[in-house]
Amino acid sequence: MNKDFEQQLRDALRPVDPEEGFEQRVMARVASEPMRSRAKLTRWAAGLALAASMAGVAILGAHQWQERREQEGLEARRQLLEALRVTGEKLDVAYQAVNRPSPPPDDESGA
Amino acid sequence: MKASEAWSPDELLTRASAGEPAAFASLVRRYQRTVFSIALRMLGDRHRAEDLAQEVFLQLYRSLEGIGSDAHLAFWLRKVAVNRAIDRIRQETRYENEPLTEAASVVEETGDADPLLQRRMAELVSQLPPAARAVVVLRYQEDLDPVDIASTLDMPINTVKSHLKRSLTSLRARVLGTAIVDDIQPSMSEPSR
Repeated sequence: MNKDFEQQLRDALRPVDPEEGFEQRVMARVASEPMRSRAKLTRWAAGLALAASMAGVAILGAHQWQERREQEGLEARRQLLEALRVTGEKLDVAYQAVNRPSPPPDDESGA
Repeated sequence: MKASEAWSPDELLTRASAGEPAAFASLVRRYQRTVFSIALRMLGDRHRAEDLAQEVFLQLYRSLEGIGSDAHLAFWLRKVAVNRAIDRIRQETRYENEPLTEAASVVEETGDADPLLQRRMAELVSQLPPAARAVVVLRYQEDLDPVDIASTLDMPINTVKSHLKRSLTSLRARVLGTAIVDDIQPSMSEPSR
C-alpha cells in the first residue's frame, strides 16, 4: 500500500512542460540583459582602473619621497658650504694675525 | 539536428558561459521542464510558474561563470527554483487563505493511473505548507533522495525525513478520506425505496 501510494504520488507529480515557446521567451529576456562580454569588460576595466590608480599613488609617493631627499641633500650641501665659508674666513683672520709684521721694539737704549 | 544538440552537457555549459546564445538556449530547453514543474507545483499557477521559471533562467544567465559542471547546474537550478518559489509564497502569504488548485488540474496522463486520483493528489500536495511541499516535490517529482533534498534546501536530513513522513501520512489520510466520501455519497443520493 505504502509503495503503491508513493508510486501514485510520483504519477501525480510527473513533470510537465511549460507552454510552447518558453525557450524563445527566456532568450528574449536574456537579449534585453546587458551583454555578458560588456559586463566582463566593465569588470576588467574597473580592475585595471583600480590597479592604475594604485600605481599612480605609489609613483606619486615615491616621487615626493625622492624630492624630499633631494631637498634635504641640497640643504645639507648649503650648510656645509656655509660652514666651510665661515671656517675659511676665520682661518684668514688667524693667518693675517699671525703674519702681521710685529711692531718694532722700543729703543730702550735710547740715547 | 541543431549543432548545439551534439554538444555534451558540460560542453554546453562551457559554451554558454563563454557567451554563445545557442548553447544557452540549449540549456534552457534541457532544463525547462524541471524548473517549470517545480515552480508549478510550488506556486500552483501556470502564469506565475512561467514567470518564476524565466527568472530562474535569467539568474542562471548572470551566474553561469560560477557553475562548474552539469551536475552542479542541475543542483543549482532546483535550489534556486525552490527557494525563489518559497520566497514568493512567503511574500504573497496566500497559501494559508487560498488553496492552490490549478496545479491539481495539471497532471501528465500516465495511461494506466487513475486521472481523478492523480488530480486529487496533486491538489493535496499543493495545499501542504511551503517547506513540506518543497520536500515532497523534490522527492516524488525530481526523484531526489533525502540527502540530496537536505543539501538542496539547506535543511537538516532529519527535518527532511520528518517532513516526508508527516506529509505522506497527511496525504494518505486525506486521499482515503476523499475515497470514503466518494463511496458514501452515491449511496446517499440513491432514492430510498
